[in-house]
This record gives sequence, structure tokens and C-alpha cells, in this order.
Amino acid sequence: MNAESIWKGLENSALGTTIASSEWMFPTLETIHVIAIVTVIGAIAMMDMRLLGLTSGNRAVRALAHDTLPVTWVAFALAAVTGSLLFASKATTYMVNPYFLWKLAFMVLAGLNMVFFHRYVAKGMDSWGAPGTAIPLSAKLSGLLSLGLWMIIPFCGRVIGFTLGVYTPS
Amino acid sequence: MSLGDWLFHLTELLRTTRLVEFSLRVSDWPFALWLQTHFYAIPTFQTLHILSIAVLFVSTLMLSLRVLGVNGLDQGLDVALRRHRAWIWSALAVLVVSGIVLLISEPVRNMINPIFWFKMILLSVAVGFSLWFQQSVRVRSATWDVSPNGHAALRLASVAIIVLWCAVMAGGRWIAYAPV
Repeated sequence: MNAESIWKGLENSALGTTIASSEWMFPTLETIHVIAIVTVIGAIAMMDMRLLGLTSGNRAVRALAHDTLPVTWVAFALAAVTGSLLFASKATTYMVNPYFLWKLAFMVLAGLNMVFFHRYVAKGMDSWGAPGTAIPLSAKLSGLLSLGLWMIIPFCGRVIGFTLGVYTPS
Repeated sequence: MSLGDWLFHLTELLRTTRLVEFSLRVSDWPFALWLQTHFYAIPTFQTLHILSIAVLFVSTLMLSLRVLGVNGLDQGLDVALRRHRAWIWSALAVLVVSGIVLLISEPVRNMINPIFWFKMILLSVAVGFSLWFQQSVRVRSATWDVSPNGHAALRLASVAIIVLWCAVMAGGRWIAYAPV
């Protein structure tokens, strides 16, 4: 079974066809998706800007992480579920869309950056933000990369909506 | 009458107003033509619009969670209010400017669209409500943590404000799906 037949099977599944043929399901899922990604991006940006020393200078990094991480994860789960359902309704069309593939690639990169950050960079996080301690350059670079990626990801998402008719599955 | 029929009826009503003439005139503006003919222009402004609602929404959410006593308890409510308020209103400014650009990019599709006007009404309510909410929190912030119980109205308001902004975002998404 090749990849293409998987996307075809998903699109023709009961789930895919139900969403595609419903008048309200796709826009409703899109609405939840937008609210969820807006929350993900905003919460991640708060943390990134703290790492870069741009905001919340008077707060420990750990305290900010405590506030933003649960919000990020709940919203990300919601975005992933709604995103997958949207994908199921037009899987073959999305898989030939370069902006969709770029969006996925940037999200993988953002995920790897986050894993790397939490596993290696964040070791000394407890002291970051205490008087007289500096945030290491590696953490700042990680924050900058994350901030940039999460600005490009919604851009790719928006362009997908304008190019669905341009790239069509063969 | 179904919801779709009702929205369609409202669109028909909008078609009888001077908004038609006005929106057609706007679509001939050089800036409108520039936006229409440059492929990346509209998605770029939409992204800016999304990024600014991200800042506004999460700042509002963090303030609400602080009011509810869920988050940020290492800081006083007055500090949290000052921290988030500046971002909320700066983001709103970017939101309005990018929104106006998007309005100019597709004037007829927006102005002859009941969902667009519902969104504008919801937006006005959300902004007014935010002003009232922040003012009420500010007045009580000094004594808030001394007597953490009570403030039921403000706790309820902190949830209502999140629901309101979600409704504004929903309005934005559904502009594209108005029955015409």
C-alpha cells in the first residue's frame, strides 16, 4: 500500500466524507482550530519573549513556564485533533499542496527545537531570571527559532486556503 | 426560517443600502487593487491579524486565569494586570489596522455580509467589556489577595470575556461562509 492510497482511503472513509459533505462541520472545525492555534502561538510567544529578555523581566522563567506550558499543551491537543479532522476531509488535496507540506515541516522543526530545549538547554532553568543570573545564549537562540517558526506556520496555513485549487491531486 | 435563510435575507437587506456603492468604490482604490493583484499580500495581512489576536487572546486568558486564581499566583494581581494590559491594547491596535487592510482587500465580500457586521458588534462588546473588566480589576487589585473569596461577578466576567473573544474569532472565520 503506497502513501497515496492511504490519503485516498482516509478521504473516502466515513469520517472524511462526512466532514467534506457537511455544510457546517468544516467551518466549525476551522473555527476551533483557529482558536486553538492562536492560543498555542500566544502562549509559546510569551515564553520565547521571556527567554529573549524582552518581556516579564521581573519573573522567573520557571514561573512563566508553569503558567504557559499547560495552556500550550491543552490548546495544541485541540489544534492537532481539529487539524487532523480537517485533513481527513481533503487528504489528497493537502498532500500535494507545498504550503501544507512546508507547514508540517516547520511544525516538526518547532517540535524538535522544543524537545532539544527541554532535554538539554533547560537544565538550569530554575535559576534563570533570579537576580544576577543570565539566560544562556542557547536558550535565547531556541526562543528566537521558536518565535520565528510559529510566525511562519500560520502564514503557511493561510496560504493553503488560497492554493487548494492550484495544486490538485492527479 | 432556517439560520441560513435568515442570513441570506439579511444579505439581501444589505444589498439595498448605500454600502453597495461604497464597497464598490473602495474596491477600485489603488491600494485595494494592489492587495488583490499581489498573491502574498492578503495571506500576509491575515497572518499579522492572526498573530495579533494570538497576543490579545493569550494576554486576556492569562489575566483571566490570574483572576480565577489558577495561574501566576507568584505575582500580585496589580502586577499581572499591568503586564497584560499593555499587550492587550497594543495588539488590538495591530488587529484593527490589519483588519482595515483586509476589509479594503475584499470590501464587497465583507461589507455586504451580515456575519461581518455581527463580528463588528461582538468586537465592540468585547472591547467595551474588556475596558470595564480591567477597570474593575484595577480598583479591587490592592485588596484582592487579602480576601480571595468573593468577587463572584468578576470571576464570572473573566470567563465571559474569553467566551466573547472566541465568538469574535468565530465571526471572523465564518465571514468566508456567509450564504450568498
